[in-house]
Amino acid sequence: MALGGGLLVRRRVPFSNEPSNLSRVINRIRITPMAVFWTLITFILVIPIVLFLSVAFSPRLMSQGHQWFTLASFKPVFSGAYGVALLHSLILGVVAAVGAMTIALSMAFLVIRTNTPARILWNTTIFALFLAPSYLIALGWQRLFEQHGILEIMGFQVEPIRNLLYGPVGICMVLMVKGIPFAYLVIANAMRGLGEEFEQAVRVHGGSRLEAFKVMAALLMPSLFSAMAIVFAEAISDFGVASTLSSVGHFSVATYQLYQGINAIPVNFPVSAATSITLLSLVILAILAQNRALRGRSFRTLSGRTRPATVTKLSFFGKITTSGYIIILLLITLGIPVFGAISASMLQGLGSLLSHYSINFSNYSRVLHSRFLRNPLIYSTEMSLIAATIAVSLAAIASKVLTSARNSRGKRFVDFFLLAAVALPGIVFAIGYIFTYNLKFINDLGLHIYGTSFLLALAYSANALPSTSRSLVGNMGQIQESMMDAARVHGSGGARAWFDVTMPLIARPLLIAWLLTFSGTLLELPVSELLYPPGSPPVAVGIELSLAGFDFGGGTAIEVLSILWALVVVAIAFFLFNRFAPPGWKRLGNQR
Amino acid sequence: MKEKSAVNAYRVEIKGASKHYGALKALNNFDLTIEPGTFTVLLGPSGSGKSTLIRSIAGIERLDSGRITFGDRVVADNGFHMAPEKRDLAMVFQDYALWPHMTAFENVAYALKRRNLDTTESNRRVNEALERVGLSAKGPNYPFQLSGGEQQRVALARAIVGRPSLLLFDEPLSNLDADLRERLRVEIATLTREIGATACYITHDQSEAFALADQIGVLRAGELQQIAAPEEIYRTPANRFVASFTGISGSFQGTVVEANGHKVEVALGKRRLECRAPAFLKVGDAVEVLVRPSATSFKDRNSNSLPATVLDVAYRGRGYEHVVECDFGVISSVFDSDSNARGSKVDIYIDPHHCLAFPSEKLAEVAAPIEELSSSKK
Repeated sequence: MALGGGLLVRRRVPFSNEPSNLSRVINRIRITPMAVFWTLITFILVIPIVLFLSVAFSPRLMSQGHQWFTLASFKPVFSGAYGVALLHSLILGVVAAVGAMTIALSMAFLVIRTNTPARILWNTTIFALFLAPSYLIALGWQRLFEQHGILEIMGFQVEPIRNLLYGPVGICMVLMVKGIPFAYLVIANAMRGLGEEFEQAVRVHGGSRLEAFKVMAALLMPSLFSAMAIVFAEAISDFGVASTLSSVGHFSVATYQLYQGINAIPVNFPVSAATSITLLSLVILAILAQNRALRGRSFRTLSGRTRPATVTKLSFFGKITTSGYIIILLLITLGIPVFGAISASMLQGLGSLLSHYSINFSNYSRVLHSRFLRNPLIYSTEMSLIAATIAVSLAAIASKVLTSARNSRGKRFVDFFLLAAVALPGIVFAIGYIFTYNLKFINDLGLHIYGTSFLLALAYSANALPSTSRSLVGNMGQIQESMMDAARVHGSGGARAWFDVTMPLIARPLLIAWLLTFSGTLLELPVSELLYPPGSPPVAVGIELSLAGFDFGGGTAIEVLSILWALVVVAIAFFLFNRFAPPGWKRLGNQR
Repeated sequence: MKEKSAVNAYRVEIKGASKHYGALKALNNFDLTIEPGTFTVLLGPSGSGKSTLIRSIAGIERLDSGRITFGDRVVADNGFHMAPEKRDLAMVFQDYALWPHMTAFENVAYALKRRNLDTTESNRRVNEALERVGLSAKGPNYPFQLSGGEQQRVALARAIVGRPSLLLFDEPLSNLDADLRERLRVEIATLTREIGATACYITHDQSEAFALADQIGVLRAGELQQIAAPEEIYRTPANRFVASFTGISGSFQGTVVEANGHKVEVALGKRRLECRAPAFLKVGDAVEVLVRPSATSFKDRNSNSLPATVLDVAYRGRGYEHVVECDFGVISSVFDSDSNARGSKVDIYIDPHHCLAFPSEKLAEVAAPIEELSSSKK
């Protein structure tokens, strides 16, 4: 690949016909974008994580104990409060995975294989669920069902439901809701690849409908396991539900236990690191299982000759029943939390013991006029702009490395490390940053960046990098290397060829990756919670601080405004792209 | 870079070029010289190193060792590597490598950026190039709006528009159907010679190579087996590999019973066949007889004949091509203006000049130095 064309140092052409010794030396020294990339990856991803996790085995290495090597830090992880929390997380993860997979399977079947009218609502719901962090979904439910909450104000008796919500049932439900879009995309892709020829082949060779169904189920099985693995990994590393329903309901989970551990005095970093390694191992095991499943039969059902499966035409009663099911699901996953958030944000006096409540926009007015409520949104916007730009730039290079035809060591390293980093829960990542950038030798190096916006921006970027890279890999892999080669042999340097050829070809995926990273960072919780500079809370922390101060109206108004703001930025970005991007750029992304 | 008024065709010289991919030797101490303004075709099967070679000439690949010069300008030399954009060349790729976000006009114009021409001149050149390849009306079209043949024509226009000193072709016709391939081959031959650039073309198709080349180089496992004019390659292949890769109808195993310089007589069972021996052979040597398609006939009667049975016959417009089976093997592409029915008994006559005897595989290693000696003397 021609990326190593030298953005920073351009290699010179010798003036004489024979290259001089100097030009040979210069030719060998290549300070390329790759060198910058590796340096950044090392400092923002590898060092913080490796240093922190190594403390679990070697406390003395980082002056956290006396032993050079010990497994003693793992003992508390499997006993006492940590052990209980880990067990809770495991059970919740498994139940959420099975539940989300089952719902996603039913939805994939209804949307892809039937003509149920409500299926058109589903795709929008899926993407909304992708964007909504779990803590916002949980907060929406909380506002409705909490004591003196919206429903109680409206006169409903909701105590039994509240008791369920603030316990394993509620936590599991939100984790399941958050897992549905991941599971749906995996299963729906597999189902789309299952053309009708598979069923027909069974039937023409004498198989019954039941036997055809068994064959279809077997073909779908890898995607079902894959979906469960993803949801399991997402569920046990989730911090949003842990910090809301779990903390209020006193039902401990591993990520919240980690958070409490890091807030204890003195902090026991070796035990936190051991807990993180255990959690990370579980997530990696789940993702490896998913990769194994994906290498199996699911992809092989796709071919150029696959014929789309026949859509089952439902009866009137069938349409009503299936549409009812979809609408109920839509209400539970998105409708109730959205209603909870919007109604709470418009209710004056929520969270107080007043007996009179009024509905108006005064909470929004307060947010827009009070710098304490408004500043988190502005600060998070700035941070998100920076983080999304850094993350997408690095992700573009990482995805290029991952799709390179050569199986280099660098490629294998990036592949492994990004896979592992995808599995790294945000809370572990944030603790790794706290640990590393408070180390004495880091401070002795003159890197006093703990508690600064600079560190927060780096952490946001690094946290988003693995998933952003993975999201670009598919598009980058579609670019034939010969197109870059063609630009080079027809007179363009490496950097120019990159901007003239590669960037336009992936302009739309880059834009989408940027917007997803921007939106995700704007509402990000665990890294924000642990790394925000004193006096500059990001949005997620601003919401939590307002809610902790019983300003439920103000907190939910920030929440709603943040989501609206994210949507506005998405709309502006797409408008600008569609208005000003050259026609060739726009056409490419649209066709995929 | 200032625009040149006329193409200054390069003399391309490659000395000791080596390139490894892990344990695989793609190029092994490779030497080649291409004279300025000539059209050289490098012919070889997959894995012979021809793509690595052309990509190394282009500067897309870095050689592990060896030296490449364009005229007296060194572009690669044991660690020194001149970037592709500095080499003043153009290339037509197998998969066209058109940029899908640019129109046909923009694709062609891109190659002129390095010439720093004013817009009027640049536009004129682009239109001229598109017209030259018969696509003057297709300038505003995006690649996806063009057929495969049209796309490759745009790639050709992009390559010639800047009047480069060296034109490289990386199997440009392999993705096209037979009819288009023939038409584009003619266009490539005429356009390249018109602009006077040195051309280097790689292919695995021997008919394409013979039709295009001033000289053909045959590659195998990263090494040059023979380089010569097409006629010489066909008539006097340096070894069995070159002969078999440049077109044979069939082959038989036999033993030399009489040797007289390059003329030998080979026993095939109880029959004898007169052949030509490019390599030194002696009586008693086990040989493989390779029969060129041009050697076979039903009508050009001579003493060099074999009784055979027609297995298959295919109508080819100007006549019929037969596949026949004799006691010693199968011979294909036997042309005749008349059809011979399947199963009919025929005599097949073989022209001794196009019937080549090479040491059979066991003797090949022993004979190799002799072959090299004989080819180096030519």
